[in-house]
Amino acid sequence: MALTTPRITTEIVTAESLGKKADVRGAVFKAVLQIALFLTILILAVLIYQMVTGGWSVLSTRLGDFLTSPTSALPQRAGIAQALKGTFWLGIIVVLVAFPIGIGAGIYLEEYDHNGRLINFVDINIRNLAGVPSVVYGILGLAVFAKFLSGFTGGNTIIAGGLTLAVLVMPIVIITTMEAVRAVPDAIREGGFGVGATRWEIIRHFVLPYAAPGIITGTILSLARAIGEAAPLLLVGAIAKPGGNPGLFDLSQLRESFTAMPVLITDWSAEAKEGFVASTAAAIVVMLIIVLIANGSAIMLRNRYENKRNG
Amino acid sequence: MSPDDSAEPERPLRALFGEELGQLHLQVELMCVLVDENLERMRTILVDGDVGLVSVALRADDEIDAMNLSLTERCYVLLARESPVASDLRLVVSVLRATSELERIGDLALRVVKLAPDHHLLTADRRCHDILVSMADDALDRYRMALRAWAMLDLGLATQLTSPSTAMDLATERLTEHLITLHGTDAVPIALSVSAAARALDRIADHTVILGARLRYLLTGEPGHLAAEVR
Amino acid sequence: MSDDTALSKPVDLEVASAPVVEPDPAPSVFELDDLHVSYGDFLAVKGVDLDIRKHEITAFIGPSGCGKTTVLRCFNRMNDLIPTARVEGSLRYHGVDLYAPGVDAVEVRRRIGMVFQKPNPFPKSIYDNIAFGPRIAGVKAGLDDVVEEALRRAALWDEVKDRLKSSAMGMSGGQQQRLCIARAIATNPEVVLMDEPCSALDPIATARIEDLMQELKHDYTIIIVTHNMQQASRVSDRTAFFVTEVNDESDTRTGLLVEYDLTEKIFSNPSDERTENYVTGRFG
Repeated sequence: MALTTPRITTEIVTAESLGKKADVRGAVFKAVLQIALFLTILILAVLIYQMVTGGWSVLSTRLGDFLTSPTSALPQRAGIAQALKGTFWLGIIVVLVAFPIGIGAGIYLEEYDHNGRLINFVDINIRNLAGVPSVVYGILGLAVFAKFLSGFTGGNTIIAGGLTLAVLVMPIVIITTMEAVRAVPDAIREGGFGVGATRWEIIRHFVLPYAAPGIITGTILSLARAIGEAAPLLLVGAIAKPGGNPGLFDLSQLRESFTAMPVLITDWSAEAKEGFVASTAAAIVVMLIIVLIANGSAIMLRNRYENKRNG
Repeated sequence: MSPDDSAEPERPLRALFGEELGQLHLQVELMCVLVDENLERMRTILVDGDVGLVSVALRADDEIDAMNLSLTERCYVLLARESPVASDLRLVVSVLRATSELERIGDLALRVVKLAPDHHLLTADRRCHDILVSMADDALDRYRMALRAWAMLDLGLATQLTSPSTAMDLATERLTEHLITLHGTDAVPIALSVSAAARALDRIADHTVILGARLRYLLTGEPGHLAAEVR
Repeated sequence: MSDDTALSKPVDLEVASAPVVEPDPAPSVFELDDLHVSYGDFLAVKGVDLDIRKHEITAFIGPSGCGKTTVLRCFNRMNDLIPTARVEGSLRYHGVDLYAPGVDAVEVRRRIGMVFQKPNPFPKSIYDNIAFGPRIAGVKAGLDDVVEEALRRAALWDEVKDRLKSSAMGMSGGQQQRLCIARAIATNPEVVLMDEPCSALDPIATARIEDLMQELKHDYTIIIVTHNMQQASRVSDRTAFFVTEVNDESDTRTGLLVEYDLTEKIFSNPSDERTENYVTGRFG
């Protein structure tokens, strides 16, 4: 078709504007996307429904007891108290260890060594680490934290488990921090330098506040992932039925044998006794709620910081 | 650094503007030629008093005035639309000033042309007439030098033009001396007509000097030459 | 019609007018001597010699890539932010070589402020934008006055005095740029560098900022890089014209200074033909 100037008349314009056939392809495409969305929601809804109905007998009749009792061989007495505490403390350790180190490393790599050779080397390696199966971290945790550093950790304990999970999610924290810092517009930094700010002042007053939503989202999501991992914990030595049921803030439990929610669920799901089916479903529902709270607070915090950023 | 438009081989930009300036220059040349023709007619009338040429000269002068107007308008438009600077600005302003000089030369030529009915007065005294014709030739020579200078934008010719013509001054002196010696009933009318013609021719020569100064400033842009150009 | 009375006396056309002499030139603030700037192996600009005079507006003009922004960023050591940047030759500020070892770039930037091409206010309130510089310089008391003074000098006070705590991001482009100017002068600098400050703005906002520059030059020394020649001719006292030259060996282009003179000379009768070609727009 040659590029000739078309003859435009009122008739032609009218015909072309009004005579168009319906956009079939577009409609079909839109329908396909809507079906995909629907299926996703459907699957999710089905899962939730299954779990809730499956665990309803436990959740509706003995919820308080369920939450505060230790595990037991008898399904009607088994509770998730120890597992909740285990998960709680694992989470604390991950936050205390992985977040500061990961965020700090991420900021350093993006701000101080941007485009340097170190950053390229580290970047590649970190991205590889993020893709390593979590079982491998379990082996690492067993060898290093449980065995080699058993003097500090006490062997197969929460500290060892927490450190293992911290190492597991650290690459993700570093990467999300780097991406969040990278997204800070250079113009802001230039403006800061222009009025005589040091690199640190710029990070503190501009980069961190601006990157905060991204960093927070990334870190909380990685925390949610960490507390959902079962395999590394199993390797580090989490056991299904630990002995005691210490108070939540009894720190001695940190150097004792422990359990956690994912471990418990894994164990219960293999139990032969029929009552454990409901318990497992109930535990899964509790787990879902925990993850929901974690993600929800991530979104809330992110929104709050984003609003602060946009004035 | 990535390549950009300024890395292209040198082809002048603002092509339309460049053409406009070229056109402007051409039109000034054209106006110069029209004035030249009228000066030629003036000389012919001075020599043989051909009254038929008078109406031709009058019409030609109307044309010259019209050109002055249209060129002035064009210059205003160029100034408003194109914001010329440096040599472009000097060209536009010089064109404005040159056309006004040319228009005055045209008017002065017309004064002599309008003396045609009194031609007998101009030729009554042989000596006076000769001097007048030599003054006319002198004025024409200078004018033609100015025309060439403007057409070719020649700095050498322009500089030459800026030295006033001593020949003209001498001729005026001789004429005045001679006119004083005239007597007879026609003495006064003759003296008046001849003086009028002589003054017009002298002024034409003066205007060619100004034309030279204007061209010289256009070409050099030096502040010293501006003082001369502004008279 | 013609008036002959003016011609009645002989016209003397060789009146020599006195050559143009600058009355007592202003003291220099910056002296550049054979300045070269490279990024790694690439020589961006070479051999720059010029003086910036106090309380003048100096404009840098020239085609893209001729190094004008590179030279501008040398004045406040902003090129330090580019790791491969290297400066040779000397750049003296009141006699002090800014690139001598031991010179604190952060201090330099407090005395030599900068306004950028695209307005870049901080994502904070108007008040905090202006107060930031003084705060980190150690000013604790009297910030309100500093902010008000800076906004007044930037001709922005009346428009924003009732909403100092609102976000700077909600302002129009022209206002944001004036805010950036206020921010730059809040640290009480001597010099303000402007890198094409109006290129992202509409003609009215541009005119406001040009008027502002004329007022500011009484208190500050201003250096402006601009692509807009009419702006340079309107606003500046002195103009420096840069071009690029091809290096035969490396097939790259290096910027260099061609002519530096009073603006009226540059735009009415420049000495160099390249300058004439550029300002008349005939050649890029």
